[in-house]
Amino acid sequence: MNKLLLVVSPCIRRISSLWILCALTSIGFATEIQQKQPNLYPFNSTIDAKRFELLIQEIRCIVCQNQNLAESNASLANDLRNKIYQMIIAKQSNAEIKSYLVKRYGEFILLRPLFNIKTYILWLFPFVAIILLIYRFYVVR
Amino acid sequence: MKKVAPFIILFAFLALLGRTLFYTNPDKLSYSLIGETIPNFQLPNLLFGQKFFNNKDLNNPVSLLNVWASWCYACKIEASTLMQIKEKYHIPIYGIAYKDAPNEVKTWLKKYGNPYQLIGDDKNGNIAIDFGIYGTPETFVIAQGKIIYRHVGVLDQKTWETILYPLVKKYE
Repeated sequence: MNKLLLVVSPCIRRISSLWILCALTSIGFATEIQQKQPNLYPFNSTIDAKRFELLIQEIRCIVCQNQNLAESNASLANDLRNKIYQMIIAKQSNAEIKSYLVKRYGEFILLRPLFNIKTYILWLFPFVAIILLIYRFYVVR
Repeated sequence: MKKVAPFIILFAFLALLGRTLFYTNPDKLSYSLIGETIPNFQLPNLLFGQKFFNNKDLNNPVSLLNVWASWCYACKIEASTLMQIKEKYHIPIYGIAYKDAPNEVKTWLKKYGNPYQLIGDDKNGNIAIDFGIYGTPETFVIAQGKIIYRHVGVLDQKTWETILYPLVKKYE
């Protein structure tokens, strides 16, 4: 049994080191490919580039299941990304871009719901419930 | 009373939450461009006559704007309704070809008939987004350059007769 282990263990070690080597090379290739990909949305300022990144993460892909624009490959998501890019280049503010989108696609397009008359109950309910329960069980005994 | 009051308030909040969650229609598309002037646009016209189709062409008392594509299956289904609107009701219909190839558009029109006065070539779908399009087909009722109604999906005879035509008649 010991002899068998002595023969097998170096083999296992070699195989596992091969796997690690394969994984490392594929990671290397992946980063190389990623670096070689041309930047589809070039910006002159880093502030605008960051605004774009943030906006496409906060805007919902309206034809997908709970994905944002950054994650989605849907054709409409691509068009909306292009639109946001054009609007940033045209020096429009984040608020203007969001209001443009909400007007056309509704508040549903924003992944973070706004605080307004339609949504206040969703925002406030957890806090109100916690405060009421604390009051009930710790203050009034 | 002090012991019960928090639960009463909690229950009231729960009832409000339930009403918000269950009594709103999640399928209803929110669209705030109704009553507003149509977005400015200028697209190459795919039909004979003028070179471009722009927002000023929609300043008629009333017209329909149909966003469609030759690759869209549902557009084939509504083609006969649009032809009927043109021939029977004589309402001007304008088209926006959404992400389409001009040759395909022309072949399609030969096959299914042409209900349109002008067709704008929205190659990259940019103008469609200005109108808040989800997909094709979508039809807008436009009166004197303002959006009066938006219909998403196939426009069938029943929808035309019961919803769109009564609106169109008001502005004719």
